[in-house]
Amino acid sequence: MTRTRKPGVSRRATLAMMGAGAVTFAAPWVARAQAKTIKVGMPTILSGRVAQLGTSSRNGVMLEIEKVNAAGGLAGRQIEMVIRDSKGQPQEAARVARELVNTDGCEILIDAEASSGAFAVHEVARDLGVLCLHTNSETSALTADPKQHIPNAFRTARQGVHDSIVGGSYAAAIAKAKGLKKWATCSPDYAYGRDTTGEYVTYLKRFAPDTEIISESWPKLFQPDYTEVVTKILQAKPQALYSCLWGGDLTSYIDQANIYALFSQMEVFAVNMADYTALTVVKNLPKGIHSGNRYIKTYPATPENAAWGDAYKAKYNEYPTNWSWENATAIMLLAEASKKANSADGKKIAEALRGLKIKSPFGADGTVTMRAEDQTLVGYAIGWGTTIPQEPYVPQVQAGDWKTIFELEAEWKKSKGYT
Amino acid sequence: MTELQAEQAAAVPQAEAGLQRSRYFDVLIALAAFAVLAILPMLTGSKALLDFVIRCSAFGLFATSLNLLVGYTGLVSFGHGMFFGLGAYGFGLIMQRTGVPVPVAFVATLVITTIIAAVIGAICVRLKEIYFAFVTLAFQMLIHSTILSWVSLTGGDQGLRGGIPRPAFFGIDLSNHVHLYIASCALLVIGLLLMRQIAQSPFGYTLRMIRDNANRASFVGIDVWRAKLTIFVLAALFASTGGIIMALFVSGAYPEFAYWTISGEGIFINMLGGVTTFLGPMVGTVLLLILNDTVTRLTEYYGIVLGIVILFFAIGLRKGLMDFVVEWYTQRRNGPGE
Repeated sequence: MTRTRKPGVSRRATLAMMGAGAVTFAAPWVARAQAKTIKVGMPTILSGRVAQLGTSSRNGVMLEIEKVNAAGGLAGRQIEMVIRDSKGQPQEAARVARELVNTDGCEILIDAEASSGAFAVHEVARDLGVLCLHTNSETSALTADPKQHIPNAFRTARQGVHDSIVGGSYAAAIAKAKGLKKWATCSPDYAYGRDTTGEYVTYLKRFAPDTEIISESWPKLFQPDYTEVVTKILQAKPQALYSCLWGGDLTSYIDQANIYALFSQMEVFAVNMADYTALTVVKNLPKGIHSGNRYIKTYPATPENAAWGDAYKAKYNEYPTNWSWENATAIMLLAEASKKANSADGKKIAEALRGLKIKSPFGADGTVTMRAEDQTLVGYAIGWGTTIPQEPYVPQVQAGDWKTIFELEAEWKKSKGYT
Repeated sequence: MTELQAEQAAAVPQAEAGLQRSRYFDVLIALAAFAVLAILPMLTGSKALLDFVIRCSAFGLFATSLNLLVGYTGLVSFGHGMFFGLGAYGFGLIMQRTGVPVPVAFVATLVITTIIAAVIGAICVRLKEIYFAFVTLAFQMLIHSTILSWVSLTGGDQGLRGGIPRPAFFGIDLSNHVHLYIASCALLVIGLLLMRQIAQSPFGYTLRMIRDNANRASFVGIDVWRAKLTIFVLAALFASTGGIIMALFVSGAYPEFAYWTISGEGIFINMLGGVTTFLGPMVGTVLLLILNDTVTRLTEYYGIVLGIVILFFAIGLRKGLMDFVVEWYTQRRNGPGE
C-alpha cells in the first residue's frame, strides 16, 4: 500500500506546490501595462509612530493630483499614484522604490521617506536614473553635499541649515533686546536633533556673541517621561531655552513642563511648535513660545495659503502638516515643469525643473524656486513668531530674509568643504 | 531520527563513507541550485525577481546561520542581527574609506566580524537560555547605539551615505544588476553548502549533543564552551556575509540593520520555516519575503496580516512549515497503519 500510494501523493503534491509557486511568483511580477496614464510611485511611512508623516504627505499629494488631473494631467497623461508603506525601514524603502519602478512601471518617484530612508531611495534613484523628488528629508547634506548630487534627484522640502540661520538670527535679536545671555538646549538625541541644535547655536552665537550655553539635555527620541530633563533645566536657571523636539515628543514635553511652570521662568524657542500636529494636541498651550513656522495657514498671510489650508481641512477633516505642503509642492513643481517641457518624460521634466520658479501659496513672496545648482527648494515661507493658546495660534510671524540665508548658506557650504 | 544517525555515525567507520557520499550529494544539489538560479536572468527580464532573490540570499544566509545556533546548538540568540549590521557597515566603510578591491574588503569584514564575535561570544556562551538571549540582545543594542552615536564614522542615524563604490574585479562588476545577482546567488549557495557541512560533520553532531544534554557532552570529554564559541563565531560569519549582500543591494548601511528588529525577523523566519530541517530557515525566508512583498502591495495594514500568520503558525501548526511538511511526508510514507 505504501508503494502504490507514494507516487500518487508526490505527484499531486508536486503539482500543487508548483501551482502555488507559480501563482505567488507571477502575481507581483505581472508585465507592466503601458497605458496612457503615468504612474508616480511614492514610498513613505504609513505605519508605526510616525505614520502621520505618510498620511499627511499622501493627503498633500492627492489634493494636488486631483487638480492636475482635472487640468489634463502631465502632458495629457493622467497621473496615477502608487503609494506604499516602507514601515520606516531603509532597506524596505529601497526595495519598495525599486519595485515601484521595475515592476509597477512608475516613471517618477516621490520620495516621502524620512532621514535614512530618503538616503536609501536616493541610491535607488542614482542606480535606476529615475526622476526622484525628495519631499520630507530636511537633512542639508542630501542636496548640499556634492557627493550626493545626481541630476535626476530634487528636494522640495525645507533644509535644516536654512532653518538654523533664520532661527539663530531671530533668537539673537531677542537675546539682545531682552538681555538673554544664559541659554539651555533640549533636543532629541539623534542626528536631526544634534545637527539642528549645533547649527542653531552656531548662528545664535554669531549674531549675539555674548550668549553662552549653560545646560544641554538630550532626551531619547520618543521618550515618554521628561521630568528629569525639566528639573535639570530648571536647576540650571537659564534665561532662554532652545528645543527642536517635534510632534508627540514636543507636546508631551510641554504638558509635563507646564506642571513645573517652566514657561513662565524663561523664554522658550521651539522650532517645531508652529505645526498643527503640535499646536492642536497640547493641553494648555502657553502664550509666548517662540517658534519657527512649519505649516500654518496664516503664514504667509495670503488668501491663497488660507484657501489651501481650508481646502485641505475640508477634505481630510484635519489641518495640513509641514509634510503636507512639502509634498504638495512636489506635485505643483512637476505639473509646471511638465507643462514647460511639454512632456511627461522624466529627463525632460528634470531639465525643466532646474531653476524653475512657480507661483505657490507657500512662497515667501508668493513663489518658490527649484534652485538649479543644488536642486533644492528655496524661497519658501520661513519665519518665527510667538504662540497664543487659540487660533490662529501664531498671529504674527517675522519673516526670515532670504538674502541673508543665501549669504550664510554659501559660507556654511564652504566651511563644510562642499564648494 | 537524526539522533540515531548521530550515534551510529560516531561509532561505525562505515558511516564515514556514508558521510562522504552525502557530502557529494550536497555538492551536487548546490551546483544544480546555482545553475537554476544562474539561468534565471536569461529566462525572465524581471528585475524585481532578481531583487527578490538577492534579498533572499541576504536574509537566507542570516536566518540559516541563526538556525545553527537556535536549532542545532540550542542557543537562542536575540542579538544575531548585530553581525548582519556589522557585515553591512564593515564592508560599506572599508569600500568607502579605503578603496581596496571588493574581495579584500569582503575578507577584511569577515576578519573583523570574527574578532568581535569571538569577544562577544566568549562572554555570552557561558550563559544559559534566557540569560544568553538577554546578553546577546544587550550586545546588539550596544553595537546599535555605537553606530548611532559615532556619527563621524558611521553617519549616525542617517546611515552610510553616498553609495558604496564597487570597482570591478576579475571581470565582475557588482554595480551591474545581473553581476550582483549572480554574486549573491553564489554567496548564498556556497554559504548554505558550508553550513550544511558544518551541521553534518562530527562537530555538528557534537552541537546537537550539547543542545540535548550539555552535561552529558561535557562528561564525554567535550569542551562545551569551546564548541559553543566556535559555532557562535561561525554563525556570525555567515550573518555578516548576509549583511554584506544587503549593503550591496541598498548601496549603503543603516542602523536598522543592527537593530533588534532584524534579530526578531530572523527568529520569526526560523519559526515560520522550522528549525528541525536544514533548509527550514531558507524556506521561511522565501515565505516571509513573498508575504511581505505581496501584502505591502495590497494593503498598508501589513502588521495585522503578519500577526495572523504568526498566530496560525504558533497556535495552528505549532511548528515551522518544513517541520510540518517533513512530518506529513514521513507519515504518508510509513502509511497510516504503522
